[in-house]
Amino acid sequence: MIRLRGVSLTYPNGTRALDLVDLEIEKGSFVFLVGHSGTGKSSLLKLMYREELPSGGEVWVDNVRVDTLRRGKVPKLRRNIGVVFQDFKLLPHKTVWENVAFALQVTGTRTRDVMRMVPRALDLVGLSHKSRMFPDELSGGEQQRTAIARALVGNPKILLCDEPTGNLDPSNTTEIMELLQRINLKGTTVVVATHNQHVVDRMRRRVVRLEHGRILHDDERGYYFRGLGQTAVLPG
Amino acid sequence: MDWGRLRFFLGEVLTNFTRNAGMQFTAIGTVAVTIVLLGSFLYVRQTLATFGTGVLQQIEIAVYLKDDVNDAQARALATRFAADPRVANAIYVPKAEGLKRMHDVLGKDFDTSLLTANPLPNTYRVHVKDPDSVPNVAAWIAKDPRVAKTDYAADTVQKLLRAAAVIGRIGIALIALLSISAAIVIANTIRLTVFARRREIAIMQLVGATNLYIRMPFIAEGMLAGVLGAAIAIGVLAGAQHEIVPKLAQTLAFVTFDVNGPQLCLELLGCGAAVGIVAAWYSVGRHLRA
Repeated sequence: MIRLRGVSLTYPNGTRALDLVDLEIEKGSFVFLVGHSGTGKSSLLKLMYREELPSGGEVWVDNVRVDTLRRGKVPKLRRNIGVVFQDFKLLPHKTVWENVAFALQVTGTRTRDVMRMVPRALDLVGLSHKSRMFPDELSGGEQQRTAIARALVGNPKILLCDEPTGNLDPSNTTEIMELLQRINLKGTTVVVATHNQHVVDRMRRRVVRLEHGRILHDDERGYYFRGLGQTAVLPG
Repeated sequence: MDWGRLRFFLGEVLTNFTRNAGMQFTAIGTVAVTIVLLGSFLYVRQTLATFGTGVLQQIEIAVYLKDDVNDAQARALATRFAADPRVANAIYVPKAEGLKRMHDVLGKDFDTSLLTANPLPNTYRVHVKDPDSVPNVAAWIAKDPRVAKTDYAADTVQKLLRAAAVIGRIGIALIALLSISAAIVIANTIRLTVFARRREIAIMQLVGATNLYIRMPFIAEGMLAGVLGAAIAIGVLAGAQHEIVPKLAQTLAFVTFDVNGPQLCLELLGCGAAVGIVAAWYSVGRHLRA
């Protein structure tokens, strides 16, 4: 589903965010990208939805080579990828319903389909009863669930999450991670960049650890710190 | 027709439009001033053109014949004039008729009873096809041995033509400058809207909206500002025409005021819309590329 070959990324200011990264993510899998801030997790995600272009190497998403994709084709790629951020990026003047519908409306979806698809997405994230509320009337977890509904409403094959629980308390974090797991079970490929050790260690999914722009290790059913496992989990 | 989509689109345009009401007024005002000037210029130019064409068509060369040329010789000149392709027509005015005309024009102030003989020469009134050829034709006629003198309002006409050309050029330069400044004001206004909506635009790009789709509400916004400005300008022009032109027409009775109203209105609205669209396209394009 996602394939990176020898990918490097150097920002104009000279920072080398990624250095010859090879990574393959199968269809329907659930992958954590972990590492300290500034180790290239976000950059890796940005390459996948073509927010950034690599300075070297190849990026393939769903059999499309993304790094050489013409600008005009980018919208079509993005409709196949849902993206969720730490800060939710909701529109404050629109209700939950409108925020989710927005993703469909601006891609030219017919009103009839909007009316059918939005309730389904809200139902999936459990926010049907709050569809008429505005983002600032919601808890952080509910705001993130709205953002996830917006990312998923168009039925993308891939969901990319950049620190999705970074602004949430532990109980909301658990709630969001359970939601992401449910979404993955329905067949969506989910990639989560995080530095929340607790979340990673509890889920026991594939863990790709980045350091200084390189993949340090890549374990199936791994831990945040290789080999340390649950013993390293700090309270809280 | 998908009414839901239309309503969503119009909602977006309206939100954009009302977000920077102050700047929007400035933009509309600039367009209005530009278009008022453009309209007045077109008006004056058209009036001058109508007036000038009228005058030019009336320009004639007065050809005074020598006294010793008899009537038959004089009439023979007509064939010479007719043979020249530059001449439209030539009317022979014998001295008796000339006196009668003068009498008709001047009325009782002109007392012919004091005259012992007719002092007027036999005259040809020659009209040319192309007003520019008046000096050449007059010079050519003057060479004829039967002709005493030719006369025409050469300087006046040429000055008028030159003035019309200069006014035309100044007007076009002025309007070009004003259009550019109107476009810049609209572009800046839209840049503010784009800035105010950068979150929406970022999300649109994230979820896969095309650049054309993202542009559309802004284009509509620019067009709306342009058209509203033009509409205000048309109102001002119509008021001015109603108030000022009748007074002018009184003083300048020889000028006919005649401007094609509906067509001019459409042209002005079109200009407003065009300026708005170009400005918006440029403004959003810069943001999308960045």
